Amino acid sequence: MAIDLASKKILIIEDQASMSNAIKEILRSMGAKFILIETSGVSALRAMRIKKFDIVLCDYNLLGKKNGQQVLEEARHFKLLPVNSIFIMVTGEFRMEIVLNAIENKPDDYLIKPFSLKQLSSRIEKCQARKDYMASIENEIDSGNLYQAIHHCKRLLVQSDDKKMRLQISKKYAELSIMVGDLNMAKDIYQDLQHERELPWVKLGLGTVDFYLGYYNQAINVFQELIEQYPMMLEAYDWLVKAHESMGNDVHATSSLNSAVTLSPNSILRQRKLALLAEKIEHLTTATKAYTAAINLGKNSIHGSSSDYSGLANVYVKSNSLDEALRVVNTINQQFRDDPEANLRAALVETEIHQIQGNKMLALQAYERIVNLNKQFSKQISRETRLESAKTFHLNGNSEVCDDILNDLIKTNIDDKIFIKNIVTMCDAIIGKDHAQVLIKQIKKELVDLNNKGVSLFEEGDSKEALVFFEKALAIMPNNHTIILNIVQILLHDLKSSNSDPRTSMIAQSYINKAVQLGIPHNKISVIQTALNDISTSA
Amino acid sequence: MIYLLVPDSDMLATNFSALLASSVHDIKNSLQELKMVHSQIEGILKEQKPTELKQLNFEANRMNNSLMQLLTLYKIGISQCSPIIDEHYVTDMLEDVVEQLSTLTSLSNIQLITECSSNLVCYCDSVMISNALCTLVNNAQRYCLSKVLLSAKQEDDYVVFCIEDDGKGYPENFMSSDYQQLPRLDLATGNTGLGLFFAKTIARLHVKGDKRGFIETDNNSQLGGARFKLYLP
Repeated sequence: MAIDLASKKILIIEDQASMSNAIKEILRSMGAKFILIETSGVSALRAMRIKKFDIVLCDYNLLGKKNGQQVLEEARHFKLLPVNSIFIMVTGEFRMEIVLNAIENKPDDYLIKPFSLKQLSSRIEKCQARKDYMASIENEIDSGNLYQAIHHCKRLLVQSDDKKMRLQISKKYAELSIMVGDLNMAKDIYQDLQHERELPWVKLGLGTVDFYLGYYNQAINVFQELIEQYPMMLEAYDWLVKAHESMGNDVHATSSLNSAVTLSPNSILRQRKLALLAEKIEHLTTATKAYTAAINLGKNSIHGSSSDYSGLANVYVKSNSLDEALRVVNTINQQFRDDPEANLRAALVETEIHQIQGNKMLALQAYERIVNLNKQFSKQISRETRLESAKTFHLNGNSEVCDDILNDLIKTNIDDKIFIKNIVTMCDAIIGKDHAQVLIKQIKKELVDLNNKGVSLFEEGDSKEALVFFEKALAIMPNNHTIILNIVQILLHDLKSSNSDPRTSMIAQSYINKAVQLGIPHNKISVIQTALNDISTSA
Repeated sequence: MIYLLVPDSDMLATNFSALLASSVHDIKNSLQELKMVHSQIEGILKEQKPTELKQLNFEANRMNNSLMQLLTLYKIGISQCSPIIDEHYVTDMLEDVVEQLSTLTSLSNIQLITECSSNLVCYCDSVMISNALCTLVNNAQRYCLSKVLLSAKQEDDYVVFCIEDDGKGYPENFMSSDYQQLPRLDLATGNTGLGLFFAKTIARLHVKGDKRGFIETDNNSQLGGARFKLYLP
């Protein structure tokens, strides 16, 4: 199974010259022609932006700002790695610490030092074979066509008699089924696998299916059992946290997450999540510690965010350490000068600090900044920060702006139950009971009217007009489920009635992909996906 | 008043894990370089390869194996280590052991033979198991005359890995003893038994239902020397 390296572009990321040269020589002897060596994470990422590499060998412990894991995260985040490329993490340490810190981004394989020449070549060959095998599935996933990816899984499962590959495909098949919301299918796949042998990831899969089906107690049992069996299985902790949260038990969620963070203190996403949870249940010491850790980890990470700073400042305000809070606010203003989101967050905390201290002038100045930022940048600002600013507007007697923001937030997030609940909670606590409910009712009615108008345009036979009408509405509410489903229905109708044109099919598919992304239930999507497939195959 | 900047013992204890990790990291880099240089020298010396090269490679493997075992045992001791169980093809695992030791086998006149059905599947932490097998095969190569047989097969509810050689066999104190205790250091022969102790320890971490992994040692090798067996449920 010799692999042809002559056509492959290879990147070696290694800070020790003797090592990178030695690896280069080995690869040369295996026929490689194009090999680039970079000595730091930053320069490697720069190289990956310019050129697409087929094989990346990256040392985990790199001198300089970024370690191997951060290089991988950033490369995946900015899609610098082609779908079928191979990323191998080279590490001298026991892999445990490394595996622990990676939440979402795992390399294709690990190579543990010291390795022999034979091991290096064999590892690359095996990775390549696996990638080639899964290519049809991964390509569809990359373009967002999850249903097509599932179709390829089924096809390969029928064709393949390679047991090892079958396991991989089944895993993918189950994950994809969960992604499109076909929970029963996922459950069947996992149960079949479990029948053969209980593997940790199979059991975890069954737990996640329970979770998505809303059987939180059952899911919690599964995750707790897993943790007992495999105390280092951090994914089980992460799911346990989610399940506790969904049950509304933030105290248990926080303590489970705390255990996970103790095991993997270098994971910024877990630290941030811990900070948010601890802040929610007023465990201010834990929150302070976790925010501080997240800030430090964020300095060289793609996940670094100004929200950790403002979060820390808020916690300081809550624990009456106003000087500390003000110091953090100043840091935000210095470090995120051109970031309106960060500026707005800083101004929100600053207003509160000065009001508590009784500095009317300074408080007013900070408040003015909120007003201006809200006017200028409302589109660029995250919904969480906008909700926070709505609260400040209300507290400062500016109910009109507050309601404007609330209306806009409700309208654009009407299908997101969790966020709508956050809006209601805030309003109930600060503005008064029923305030949010009244706004939501109004908006729901507006939306029904709008949909009816579009549907009647369509029923009158003016499908073009109807399409334009819905597309305009979607521009204002890009995540609205009903509008997206209506658009797909119109496109399907056009495809059926006129000669189906491939461009229209493509547009319809992209709307379906968006619907999947938004988590519209499987039963709704599978109907339109099947209809589209039928039209495309009959064409 | 003068404060001496000497870490107290408590501090050393809590930081030991970090100290150990960074030391291991350094030593591993050195070992990797050593292996690379070794390969280069081997490439230069096309015809006559001195036997010292073989010795060098053997020792480098041994250092690495001991280091990995030390670290794993330490982690097990502080309950920070649980195996990552997944499905693995046994042929792949045996191949990995052979590849890890490829330089050594190419230098010596010793035959390393593997025997395994291509369909045999094992549920285990392959990194841990490979490490244990590497150590024991490395040792077997040292004590055998000309042949080492590395094989695996299914026996009832267990996958059994077997390492056999044609040497003089295990000394009395290595057989049928309970490796639950830390091995006693035998400075005269250099045999610490750490490899067996390690294999026993990680075997026990592999559990299925009420069955646990275990090891057996005897001198019933079909080649006439020592035989080691690792049972995984």
